Amino acid sequence: MTEPRTTADYLATGSQLAVVRDKLGATSPDDVEIFVIVSGDGRVTAFNGHVDLGTGIGTALGQIVAEELDVAFPRVTVVLGDTERTPNQGPTIASETIQISAKPLARAAATARAALLARAAERLAVPVSDLSITDGVVTPPVPDNRALSYGDLIGDDRIILRIDPEAPLKPVADYRVVGQKAARVDLPAKATGGLVYVHDVRVPDMLHGHVVRPPYAGVDVGDFVGTSLIGVDQSSIADLPGILAVVVIGDFIGIVAEREEQAARAAERLRVTWKPIPHLRDLTDIPTALRENPSTPRELSHRGDVEAVRAAVAQPMDRTYVWPYHLHGSIGPSCTVADFRADKLTLWSGTQNPHMLRADLAKLMGMDEGQIDIIRLQAAGCYGRNCADDVGGDAALLSRAVGRPVRVQLTREQETAWEPKGTAQLMEVRGGLDAAGDVASYDFSVRYPSNGAPLLASLLTGVIPPVPMVFTMGDRTAIPPYSYGALRATAHDMAPIVRASWLRGVSSMPNSFAHESWIDEAASVAKVDPIAYRLRYLHDPRAVDLVKAMADRVDWVPHTEPGTLGGEGDILRGRGFAYAVYVHGQFPGVPAAWSAWVADVEVNKTTGDVALTKITVGQDSGLMINPAGVQHQIHGNVIQSISRVLKEEVTFNQIAVETKEWGGYPMITFPEIPPIDVLMMDRQQEPPLGVGESASVPSAAAIANAIYDATGVRFRELPFTPERVRAGLEAAGITSPPAPMALPAPPPAKKRGLWAGLGLGLAGLVGIGTLALPIRSAMAPIAGPDPTLYSASTIARGKMLAALGDCAVCHTAEGGQPMAGGLPLETPFGTIFSTNLTPDVQTGIGTWSFDAFKRAMRQGIGQDGQHLYPVFPYDHFTKTTDEDLEAIYAYLMAQTPVVATIPANKLAFPMNIRPLMAGWNALYLKTGAYQPDPARSADWNRGAYLVEGLGHCSSCHTPRNALGAEIASQRYAGGVAEGWEAPALSSLSRAPIPWSEGELFTYLRTGFSPLHGPAAGPMAPVIHELQALPDSDLRAMAHYLASDLPPVSVEAEKVAIDTADARNAGAMLPSAGPGGRIFQGACAVCHAPTAPPLFGVKPNLAFNSNLQSASPDNLIRTILGGVPKPAVANLGPMPGFGPVLSDSQIADLVRFLRRQYAPGQPEWADLDKTISRLRATAFHAGP
Amino acid sequence: MRSVTLRVNGGQHALTLAEDTPLLFILRNDLGLNGPKYGCGLGECGACTVLVDDVAARACCLPVGLVEGREITTLEGLGTPEKPHPVQAAFIAEEGAQCGYCLNGMIMTVAALLARETQPSDATITEALRYNLCRCGAHVEILRAAKRAMQMMAP
Repeated sequence: MTEPRTTADYLATGSQLAVVRDKLGATSPDDVEIFVIVSGDGRVTAFNGHVDLGTGIGTALGQIVAEELDVAFPRVTVVLGDTERTPNQGPTIASETIQISAKPLARAAATARAALLARAAERLAVPVSDLSITDGVVTPPVPDNRALSYGDLIGDDRIILRIDPEAPLKPVADYRVVGQKAARVDLPAKATGGLVYVHDVRVPDMLHGHVVRPPYAGVDVGDFVGTSLIGVDQSSIADLPGILAVVVIGDFIGIVAEREEQAARAAERLRVTWKPIPHLRDLTDIPTALRENPSTPRELSHRGDVEAVRAAVAQPMDRTYVWPYHLHGSIGPSCTVADFRADKLTLWSGTQNPHMLRADLAKLMGMDEGQIDIIRLQAAGCYGRNCADDVGGDAALLSRAVGRPVRVQLTREQETAWEPKGTAQLMEVRGGLDAAGDVASYDFSVRYPSNGAPLLASLLTGVIPPVPMVFTMGDRTAIPPYSYGALRATAHDMAPIVRASWLRGVSSMPNSFAHESWIDEAASVAKVDPIAYRLRYLHDPRAVDLVKAMADRVDWVPHTEPGTLGGEGDILRGRGFAYAVYVHGQFPGVPAAWSAWVADVEVNKTTGDVALTKITVGQDSGLMINPAGVQHQIHGNVIQSISRVLKEEVTFNQIAVETKEWGGYPMITFPEIPPIDVLMMDRQQEPPLGVGESASVPSAAAIANAIYDATGVRFRELPFTPERVRAGLEAAGITSPPAPMALPAPPPAKKRGLWAGLGLGLAGLVGIGTLALPIRSAMAPIAGPDPTLYSASTIARGKMLAALGDCAVCHTAEGGQPMAGGLPLETPFGTIFSTNLTPDVQTGIGTWSFDAFKRAMRQGIGQDGQHLYPVFPYDHFTKTTDEDLEAIYAYLMAQTPVVATIPANKLAFPMNIRPLMAGWNALYLKTGAYQPDPARSADWNRGAYLVEGLGHCSSCHTPRNALGAEIASQRYAGGVAEGWEAPALSSLSRAPIPWSEGELFTYLRTGFSPLHGPAAGPMAPVIHELQALPDSDLRAMAHYLASDLPPVSVEAEKVAIDTADARNAGAMLPSAGPGGRIFQGACAVCHAPTAPPLFGVKPNLAFNSNLQSASPDNLIRTILGGVPKPAVANLGPMPGFGPVLSDSQIADLVRFLRRQYAPGQPEWADLDKTISRLRATAFHAGP
Repeated sequence: MRSVTLRVNGGQHALTLAEDTPLLFILRNDLGLNGPKYGCGLGECGACTVLVDDVAARACCLPVGLVEGREITTLEGLGTPEKPHPVQAAFIAEEGAQCGYCLNGMIMTVAALLARETQPSDATITEALRYNLCRCGAHVEILRAAKRAMQMMAP
């Protein structure tokens, strides 16, 4: 049976009792909202307009209904917010579900219970007061067989009742379900992959959409919003398969494809041009940005004459507290499926506010709300407002464009950059103490630049104007909970600077940070214990009880100055207290649960690291429906808020949000979780209070107060990162500035590389070329390949040798047929396209005789007598024996011919004159097969033949002279390949552990040496090809390459390994700085030796020569582009971070890696320039 | 596009697709699996974790071409609501989730840990989970679940 979809479906069902209320402005008796249905089969369905944001409210609401109806909890199913079935109860915010919206639900259940009891009384002819109910079965005073179940009482009737506001609710003393632990009903499906989340929705005929967002990421006010697009170049994705539509409306761009990866690839690749974007206010200076943002003061409270008293105080105490921008940080980026038909839009959504979203969509799409059906499913927890609504607008537009259902999944970068941030906030206190140390005056003001974040698609398409709107939400808990003498609280209401909206503890958490820090500061000035001082001004009896209970719980030792807990070495210990009641909703608001914190910290005065050693949190929640759920919520609030307080801060560039992923926005991790002791006040007789956010609110002040207690230094701006704390301790003279960690950068060295500098010698080459009689004869063509000429074993051997020679690496274009050529090889003088090596008679080598092939390999002369360019390494291939050349020829001629015309080379004069290469050959080419060295072993000679011949290792690993030839005296001193540094293989190698024969073999065989690293960049395809060679050949190559290297001592290896361990451990410290945090969040999962095994290898950066190099290019290239295609599958891939990390984030990361892993090496100079240069360079990352 | 044969949860699946397609998209879109979740596309958060030959892998940035012929196990392959794997049962019993979006990664990571080490220390467990992010703050319950799973699976 399918589930009923609409209210009408439900009401049409017979054999049930439904409790409803009239819709607001209802025009007919059927225009109702259902709250509770008791079905004839005994099942109960409860409806609530709010949604479960991962807090377990579905479970708690079910408990309330089970309680009031006297049925067992498992009988109850709770249907949460969607537009067709559940009451419109406004957005799920401010933890008010249990406190407010559960009330009509409880009353509805009580209404049903009363009606059923009345029916039973009539049937049994017994007064209602004599009846009792157990799990939906009504029994008369003396148990007999006349017991009636709810199903019996309903029979085949269809009963519809209005909620009776007088229906009696159960006394708390009779509660059997509420107040007990109830198992979460949602978890079995979540733990086994059931269809739970909006991300899991799949409908027939569904397509996949991705959006391309404008460059003003995360900004939604200003004339440029919706008007900045110059053009979309659809040809940039014309070659991609599966693309069905590119939808462009104003600044809205979306792509629809058959498959998700097609849409994702196209969105990455689509070339879009935008107008210049105006600069944002400088958000590195939040106080100035918020003070300069236009605002309107709104006085919230004023007692006494604040100005006059302030002017006369004995001890003025003016303080400013600063809160940064935070992310909501949903782990799952938002997703929606939209199905637009002629007159109807169906949306499967994870919205927090289905009814609000429906109104927004109606406006965007020009539809009536009645034409829009929103089916709400769970999404990742959002703690406020994320992009769940925005993606609904995106999907609706894309579905309308293609007339089919479209699923849109936002990327991590889009969700992070565009989610309406938890806003920055500025709190200023002008206050003072009288001569007795009492608070005489407290003048508090708050600036909160936030709005409701209008639907993004409506802004981008111009349906609604991007005008600043002001949400007056800065007033939550703006009035301190203390009875100060003169008091004023003012909210300076203001429009947002960047897209911002409510986030857990909205404005209350920052306001309480200020209130609770300030009172702690005042207590210190007054030389009174901080808890005793608070109790002077705290008169709410439940608050006082909570504060005292907390003091008992932690054995609070009264103290009047910091430092009483001592410490040892670099560690200073401290303990801080804070208290708050979260006042939410429209001012003056409604208080939720009371909360208090005691934070125990250890501050490392050298590193600035703040370690939480324990958090004790107390809460008075009133009646707890599901105490286990409340405890879970408290844990969640504690953990999330300490993460926000210690670690989190959104960063911005000049025009947009910079933060796009978790490396740049580190959240708390498991090893950092302190022990958490929860004290839950027993108030089961009191009304229930919201528990979703309260325990977050005292967090920041409790930790700031604990840091003060440890160090005597006051921190008034979040987050309390080690850098900030260390700077504060330095300023206070508690610790001295650090010694410089790395050597300064040397003056920039001249660039060198394959073909670089070739221009210098061109004039000379012209001269020599003239002397060297460049014109050579053409070779007679053959009719075509003769498949009978060579044996299968010769062809197979040729295939292996061709692999050693990396023929396919250069002679295969991106996405092209193997060996069919066309790969552009970039040189400083222009582009050379590799040729077609398949035996096609027109475009390939089908008419080449073996002699022609041999001449090409030995002398670099084409079949037509023209010189080939030495980017083709014939100076190495010449060493190949006739027998091996013939085998390669046999293999090439046995391939399937491919017709592939190669584009003409794009070389500038004089390089476009091929005969000049004759001069080059005269100077540098020594033709002829390799001659073994009789003084050396057979193994060595075999290795030399392979390495120096077909393997052509020194082509990349030896530096080249001004004419682009390898410098014989600097063999294997390191060179350049396709813009990558090919590291030295000689004794000049910078590898922290010198290469040994064994490691060389391991590397060539597997693509990875644990003591060095994996093959990447242009070496990855080389290793891939080497897989064709037998162990014996690779051993010979390793033997030969190692023969000139100094032996590696076991002791030296051990020292290097120990050093590496220390460097790796240091990289994981909280005090590693911004670059270190990016490493920990983005890189360490695969690069920290302590991280758990993951598919693929774990390259140890302490052993990696790229970090030791004079140039950061290889490191930066790898960070930007990743290793999408490893040399061998089981090495695993590395994703590219170019699209998600900014240049300055990459510079931070690279600087950190250099300092951490190459402390003896100078800092790299001009990182910013190098990063932007490499970002602009298209580089070849392998076949 | 080429044809790829994948072994997932004991079954064989022949598919035609681009070999650089992230495994996650194939598991979710072609095979209709809900367990592995898209979280970051960069291997940072762990929501997409699957097992490849019993070792954890981050499916969001794992090109499908690299895992051809290997045995892939998703959350669905561990157990069912009726017959959950001990790690799944432990997470349900300890309520090791709030919103549950990260739950797949937590369960798969703990399953991979307990497959290679039967009695990990507390420090080993927290280190094993370090690279799995949870925004709801269910860490306390997740650690309890991991320990319960360890006890349930004790040899």
